[in-house]
Amino acid sequence: MDGMAASALAIALVGLGFWTLLRRRNVIWKLLGLNVAAGGAILFLVAIAHRPQARPPILGLGPGQSADPLPHALVLTAIVIHFATLALSLVYVIFLTERRHSQDVHKLEEER
Amino acid sequence: MIYAVGGVVIYLVLGAGGFLVRPRWLPGTLALLAGVASLALWAPGFSEGVLGGGRWGISVAGDSLALGMWALALVIHGAVLLHERTRPGPFHPLLTLLVGTCLAAALSRDLFNLYVTLELASLVSFLLVGYEGKPRAVWASLQYLILATVGMTLYLLGVGLVYGKLGTLSLSAIAALGPRLSDPAVGIGAGLLVAGAAIKSGVFLFGLWLPPAHGYAPTTVSVVLSAVVVKMGAVTLARLTEALPVGPALVVLGILTGFGGLLYALWERDLKVFLAFSTVSQLGYMLLGFGLGGGAAFGAMLYAVAHGLFKGLLFLAAGEAVERVGRREIARLAGQLSVPVALALAVGTWAIVGLPPLAGFAAKGILAQDAPNWAKAVLFSLEVGTAASFAKLVPLFRPQGTSPIGGLGFLAAAVVALGVGGLLVVPGLFSLWAWGEAFLAAGIGWGLYLGLRTLRPILPRFTFDRALGSLFVGAVVATGILLLW
Amino acid sequence: MKWASGMAILALVLLVAAGTWSLFPRPDVPPWEEETAAWGAKNAVAAIVLGARLWDTLFEVLVYAMAMVGVRLALRPLRRTEPQAPLPETPLLRRAADVLLGPIVVFAIYLAASGHLGPGGGFPAGALLGSGLLLLALAKGADRLGGELHEPILERGEYGAIVALLAAGLGVLFLGWVGGGLFVGLNLLIALEVAIGAWVVLHHFASSRGEV
Repeated sequence: MDGMAASALAIALVGLGFWTLLRRRNVIWKLLGLNVAAGGAILFLVAIAHRPQARPPILGLGPGQSADPLPHALVLTAIVIHFATLALSLVYVIFLTERRHSQDVHKLEEER
Repeated sequence: MIYAVGGVVIYLVLGAGGFLVRPRWLPGTLALLAGVASLALWAPGFSEGVLGGGRWGISVAGDSLALGMWALALVIHGAVLLHERTRPGPFHPLLTLLVGTCLAAALSRDLFNLYVTLELASLVSFLLVGYEGKPRAVWASLQYLILATVGMTLYLLGVGLVYGKLGTLSLSAIAALGPRLSDPAVGIGAGLLVAGAAIKSGVFLFGLWLPPAHGYAPTTVSVVLSAVVVKMGAVTLARLTEALPVGPALVVLGILTGFGGLLYALWERDLKVFLAFSTVSQLGYMLLGFGLGGGAAFGAMLYAVAHGLFKGLLFLAAGEAVERVGRREIARLAGQLSVPVALALAVGTWAIVGLPPLAGFAAKGILAQDAPNWAKAVLFSLEVGTAASFAKLVPLFRPQGTSPIGGLGFLAAAVVALGVGGLLVVPGLFSLWAWGEAFLAAGIGWGLYLGLRTLRPILPRFTFDRALGSLFVGAVVATGILLLW
Repeated sequence: MKWASGMAILALVLLVAAGTWSLFPRPDVPPWEEETAAWGAKNAVAAIVLGARLWDTLFEVLVYAMAMVGVRLALRPLRRTEPQAPLPETPLLRRAADVLLGPIVVFAIYLAASGHLGPGGGFPAGALLGSGLLLLALAKGADRLGGELHEPILERGEYGAIVALLAAGLGVLFLGWVGGGLFVGLNLLIALEVAIGAWVVLHHFASSRGEV
């Protein structure tokens, strides 16, 4: 895919994710939106690394332009971090569901 | 460099290994000793070096900002260890890891390394806030997690834009390229970076997770969070000003934060939530100083350290009081605190209002010395507001009974030492004018409190959705300021 | 408020799009071949993740481990004592586990051991091992498998891997360790850590799943 198309897709994903995060009242939906937005940010970094007709940044794959390796390394780190935060927030949702019997933001917000 | 990085690694090793070792507090204490030794070894600072070398490596440097943050983090860790050694479960390993991460973040001069260390710091903070398994604290922690992740997504987009344009992540390399905000990629990227870091530090409009998270966290956890972790977001913002010309945005955010936090602190009746709102408003001082740069930035660093010390003291005392009495409202606590707790609250209040000779006075004085006149006026009115909001704690100073001192004495001694030391070292602070100004602010604040206390304004309550929405609005506003400047 | 924040998201998207537009056309990638070869790797991404930016990777591993600590901490009070209805189980799953488990383990080790030469590395390898464990859990029942994999030993393995990684980090950053053997070792340690973490998440999620 072209770098420009990929970055447009990435930015659209970020917007879509944030929109879901804002509009939905269910915490699980919110987390899904957040995850889509985070995926968009990661795709954005990959798109930044892309060059026209690029090959992977591995030695011995022939001549020609290669992709920028540094954003790829950053993406690797960012993916793991997002996985970790998602796991932790889902665990908190499980906990709140068990204790408060609700996943609705407005109900969770009521003073207890 | 090797001493500082080695100190961080020892901290992290003892933190991770601490999950397996008993007694739980032992690895934390060893880590603290190693941290102090490492600080003593690199103490005057070290110039920038590249970890890993080459074009891809991570720049670290030990400048005065890093030095101050290390001292603050180590003192607070020491106070918590003094106060609470026997907590069950993995509290101490988590705390050690948190402090170690903050030490690493203070050294870092790399956009992406700052992202990673801040993520680890906030992840461990979520764990500590929800640690006791109370639904309210867990909900506060989940809010914090979601808002912080939104912030970090924005930050990541900013990293992508800035790296895509300038081709480097090292802050000093970016500064050497002389980036201009009129370039759309750099300007918008800088705005997103500022927004992401602002969410982490709990700036008004961005960080509305802060009051519930700090208010409902366990006592010692709120101490560490508002003394050290919040400062890491502020440090990140300060680092950004070193690379990109984002000062104006910080000044605007600082003023907004100072007065916005104050507005809520003035009428808040829950003691710990009140202290958390006051943290928000005090962040305004730091952002203003970092945004102005130069001598004011040094003053802001000192104020960050001083605020860490006395806000740690206040939270420790408030947590003790709330746990002992079993009530959270300020009015219900009056006359029920033990002597050490009431004394600690009094010392903390004296310091945060900025009266001599404690730490708040010295740090605020240095911050104001190099500021332009309009900034001095802003600082003075913030000081008046702080005094007015803290005046409602005065009925709490009437003690009854006694209790163990714990870490309170240690922190109070640190507050006094920093204040007196500042007075002796910095020349301009011993003037009649400065002292008179400080007492004048406190006096006006007291009058303002008497005038305002009968008012009960209805401020919009912050729900989670409002916090989320204000965050997006804030991000656009911050980016807009930078683009239009 | 809703309206304003919706507009803010739209504005944010447009701003990022405008910033990205100005990045094109992209300049050439600065040469990376020499630095990669100096680290003793062929895959430039591996040379960055495990060499030049190992400092980041150490924190990333810690982030992962801390999330696992959080999973244990938050879900332990919710652990059910009464036996739960077993997960749906079919002969097909059991046969698939028998056939696939061996290749999964072998391929995971291959990915970890050759990560510095081509695509691969410790994280995918660990995730693959973790999904192999998931398959096994589906075939045998998560509770039974949880009883067989002794948790204290797993915990020791997890934190031991982190401590070893941190120690190796000092070697790489200050003693100038480079080379393929080092990368294989680091990748295997990361794979171990990630696989144990993935198992912890799966096991805790499965055993506190509540009523279906």
